[in-house]
Amino acid sequence: MHAKFLIVITALITVTGFITSGFTINEASINDESKKTHPDNTVKSDSAASAKAFLQVYKVLMSPRCMNCHPAGDIPLQGDDSHLHTMSPKRGKDGHGLYAMKCTNCHQPTNTPGMHTPPGNPKWALPPSDMKMVFQGKTARQLALQIRDYNQNGHKNKQQLLEHARDTLVKAGWNMGEGRPAPPLSYSAFLKAWDTWIDKGLYAPVK
Amino acid sequence: MKSSALASGGLMISFSWLSSFKGPGLSGDSDLPDLPEQWHELTGYIKITPDNVVKIYNPNPEFGQNVMTTLPMIIAEELDADWQQVVVEMGPHDSVKLGPQFTGGSNSTRMYWKPLREAGAAARHMLLDAASQTWNVPIEELTTKAGMVMHGKSGKSGKYGDFAAKAATLVIPKGIKQKDPKEFTVVRHSKKNVEAAKIVSGKPLFGLDYKHEGMLIAMIEHPPSFGMKLKNFDATQTLQMPGIKNVFSLKLYEDGFELAGFDTRTFNDLLVVVGNTTWEVMNARKKLKVEWELVVETKETINNFGRKQEVVIPAGLPSSEEQHKQMQAKAKEPAALLRKDGDPETAFSNAAQILERTYNAPFLAHNCMEPMNFFAHVTDEKALLVGPLQAPGWTEPTLAKILHLPPEKIEIQMTRMGGGFGLRAYGHYLCEVALISKKIKAPVKLIYTREDDMTYGIYRPMYTATYRAALDANKNLTAIHVKGGGIPENAVHANRFPAGTVDNYLAEGWQLPSNITIGAFRAPRSNFAAAAEQSFLDELAEQMGKDPIEFRLELLKRGKENPVGKNNEYDADRYAGVLKLVREKSGWGKPENRKYSRGVAAYFCHNSYAAHVVDILMKDGKPYVERVFSAIDCGIVVNPDAAANMVEGAVIDGIGNSFYGKLSHKNGAAEQQNFHNYRMIRHSEAPASIEVHFVQNDIDPTGLGEPPFPPVFGAVANALYRSTGKRHYNQPFMDALLQQNNEPDNSTERAVDKKTDKANKKKAF
Amino acid sequence: MITLNINTKNYEVDVDPNTPLLWVLRDHINLVGTKYGCGVAQCGACVVHLNGDAVRSCVTKVSRAAGQQVVTIEGLSASNDHPLQKAWMELDVPQCGYCQAGQIMSAAVLLRENPNPTDEDIDNAMEGNICRCGTYLRIQKAIHLAAEMQRKGQ
Repeated sequence: MHAKFLIVITALITVTGFITSGFTINEASINDESKKTHPDNTVKSDSAASAKAFLQVYKVLMSPRCMNCHPAGDIPLQGDDSHLHTMSPKRGKDGHGLYAMKCTNCHQPTNTPGMHTPPGNPKWALPPSDMKMVFQGKTARQLALQIRDYNQNGHKNKQQLLEHARDTLVKAGWNMGEGRPAPPLSYSAFLKAWDTWIDKGLYAPVK
Repeated sequence: MKSSALASGGLMISFSWLSSFKGPGLSGDSDLPDLPEQWHELTGYIKITPDNVVKIYNPNPEFGQNVMTTLPMIIAEELDADWQQVVVEMGPHDSVKLGPQFTGGSNSTRMYWKPLREAGAAARHMLLDAASQTWNVPIEELTTKAGMVMHGKSGKSGKYGDFAAKAATLVIPKGIKQKDPKEFTVVRHSKKNVEAAKIVSGKPLFGLDYKHEGMLIAMIEHPPSFGMKLKNFDATQTLQMPGIKNVFSLKLYEDGFELAGFDTRTFNDLLVVVGNTTWEVMNARKKLKVEWELVVETKETINNFGRKQEVVIPAGLPSSEEQHKQMQAKAKEPAALLRKDGDPETAFSNAAQILERTYNAPFLAHNCMEPMNFFAHVTDEKALLVGPLQAPGWTEPTLAKILHLPPEKIEIQMTRMGGGFGLRAYGHYLCEVALISKKIKAPVKLIYTREDDMTYGIYRPMYTATYRAALDANKNLTAIHVKGGGIPENAVHANRFPAGTVDNYLAEGWQLPSNITIGAFRAPRSNFAAAAEQSFLDELAEQMGKDPIEFRLELLKRGKENPVGKNNEYDADRYAGVLKLVREKSGWGKPENRKYSRGVAAYFCHNSYAAHVVDILMKDGKPYVERVFSAIDCGIVVNPDAAANMVEGAVIDGIGNSFYGKLSHKNGAAEQQNFHNYRMIRHSEAPASIEVHFVQNDIDPTGLGEPPFPPVFGAVANALYRSTGKRHYNQPFMDALLQQNNEPDNSTERAVDKKTDKANKKKAF
Repeated sequence: MITLNINTKNYEVDVDPNTPLLWVLRDHINLVGTKYGCGVAQCGACVVHLNGDAVRSCVTKVSRAAGQQVVTIEGLSASNDHPLQKAWMELDVPQCGYCQAGQIMSAAVLLRENPNPTDEDIDNAMEGNICRCGTYLRIQKAIHLAAEMQRKGQ
């Protein structure tokens, strides 16, 4: 008799917990895709910690070193004031630029020495036009929902999301050449926040 | 004139320019004063080979104005040569044979028009004379056409080359009749650029391309800001870098050296790095450990072609913000009177309405695409210098002094210039490299990096001007007052329009000294004066309820029929002429053009007249210059297509500089060092169309390099007003526009005209 | 020693592998058609083709070009008869001429990848090439003309 009550009460509390975190049950159950990012539905999620971690991630993603290559339009941004990149290079279909204005025409595999020269990385490019992965202008909530959405994040599952933060181009944000300050968190702090956000359930902040 | 035969039998003609020159006749507006008489004893030459190839030497240095093609065309016309058989070469520096050889003040064609026609006509006559003697027929029975001599009566004909040897033995005649412009078959007919093939195939043409056996590379490490100089340095690490030969300091000019007008230099104590290759020297410079110190106030004597001036060079590290404040304060103080007609004080005190506006523009960097560079090989006996510069004759005397060599031992070869715009009239870099070569006893090329070039100064000055107009109760214009100032000079042309058209007129000017060096920049002073004046006239016309073109034409009518005062420095008819032409060609006032925000401006400078209508369209809340209509009166247009190219270039140059051009300073340092933050107008920002129309008249050519440039600024400002609803008083205009729009947005979607599949060209500025 | 293949010819150069290709071309191999305008990839005067791509040689290390195919303006055609060169001469494009090699090399990539470019395509391709003298309109027209020549097999 007592055991039944306990189960019901626990279930009620769990449901309530879901609702107050801003993450409705509907999202969890309807969204098949999200199941790919949550292969184990019984993982120990901590919505508050996850959302809080994303707020740290957000600071980094919205800093110029990351956001400049995740623009709302088709011209990358440039500089700490995120002005439109001089010479208006265009994204192009594959994100690698167009004609004589391809990213790698100027951006070399490594940073070019000196001030105001092109930073470099072997994978220098924008996201492609059919998956723009825009950061610019997004709230923390919008960005979190976007990044964890398989259809908007470049078709990454949870494991790939975790690996993505270890990608050479992402790391390049912390080593972008003379005169370009690193993002507001150290790379290791960013990794920690990123992993926490994902491991604790990919919760989007309220706003 | 003298002539001599070449060993191979060709004809060489030298001609004296003395009789042809009235002096270069430079207008009073430019930085270039009249040259002293003794410089006018000059000669040049044409060579004709037996196989009828005519080699013509272009006397004037080339920087994109295409004198390489245009000046030889003038000779070829009177010579009646076959243009297809003409070969053009850049002439050597020889002020005796080839004239003043300075490119500047829009003077090349104007200065050489008569002398080259004379030379061509004289040479033709000598060939006729030789043919007449060879065939034993009267000279009057002979005609020429395209390099051939014909004797109609007998049917004989021969090519110029057949008679060249004999012609060379004849005395060069004077006063030979020249063609009537109606007879021109070369002049007024577009000819292709004689160097185009070399340019598009990458042949070595420019100073930076010049190579010499054993040549080293030198660079100068300049102070980081104006108002500083070299104190001491430690080159230990630099000398260990690969390829580095030497690091030393030297003085450009000794203390008390009397500078000539174009000896401007920003820094006198030079820290020089010499090495084998450009990259090695660029890298090695970074390892220099240098101590700089503040300069103290100094005085400098400048001898500007006989006019001596004492100039104070202040101490301090200038900042643009501070300079603006200083200028605002100075503008309130009394200034030098430049011109006064009637009683402007009374007119203003009686005015029913006074319009007062102040205009500002920053320093501009020339930014020639080819950075400063020059080659020198100096020994104890002689000096060879090769590179890009506008006026070898202006620097040669200084070289002679500092090298202790007579001018005959100094050879300056002029390469093609990757742009000049006035900057390459200042020969400090020739003196620098000559001294470096002398010191290291080796041939060497001095190279300025883009950063060196952009931060070195010799800028277009910083200007301001306040215009006031007095209107009576019936909105009649009763007085105009202009008070202009600048660092370190003002841009007031007191005798230009609208002076002469208003009963009461007052022009005043003031200046503030600075240690920031300045120099001639395409249409010096005019490039600001036109912007301010033409914007003011536009606003004044609006206040008076008049159409801007009509308003100007009314004033010009007064200036022609009943001019006020003396020395009115413009021809009212020609000025009105370009306004009328641009009004017609732009469809001014026509309903189909209502969608455009139209701005008009006209100006006279450097002896020619120009008017533009600029059409702006708004796209996504941003103004784009879509079309420009230009009307030019520069007299006879020798090479029409090349002239149109020049006007197009001036229009684009004006749009770019008015929107973006700015060289600002903070604590003495230039804030812009390269194109990442000195914004240049780009391909998509050029207008979709620029229609150029020349007034057809037979006036001797009056010059085209500069005149179209200044009014562009005014026309752009006036068009911007109509598109944004706000007047733009401060250049660069983009600063104000960006502030209005807050953030730079990321809008990249441009409206595509699906009907014609042509995208609108313009993007966000 | 670095081996470079430039305009189908092989060169051995003894340079620091970090030397920008621009200076190797100009100072060591004596091909001066490729120009220095800024050194920071902002002006386009230094554009060459690296395996067909329009790279800015002022920031491209010579090591990146080692063993690859480099084409400069001098090697764009055998006798100045690339459609772009012909169009440039036909329409009298240059004023001072300093930027034009870079302009042509950039345009060449455009025409190879898009034989029928619109005005917008040309803007996108050419925005990185500065012309201080303002020949942009003529460049635009010349690219259209060259495209037409190309289509007609000229």
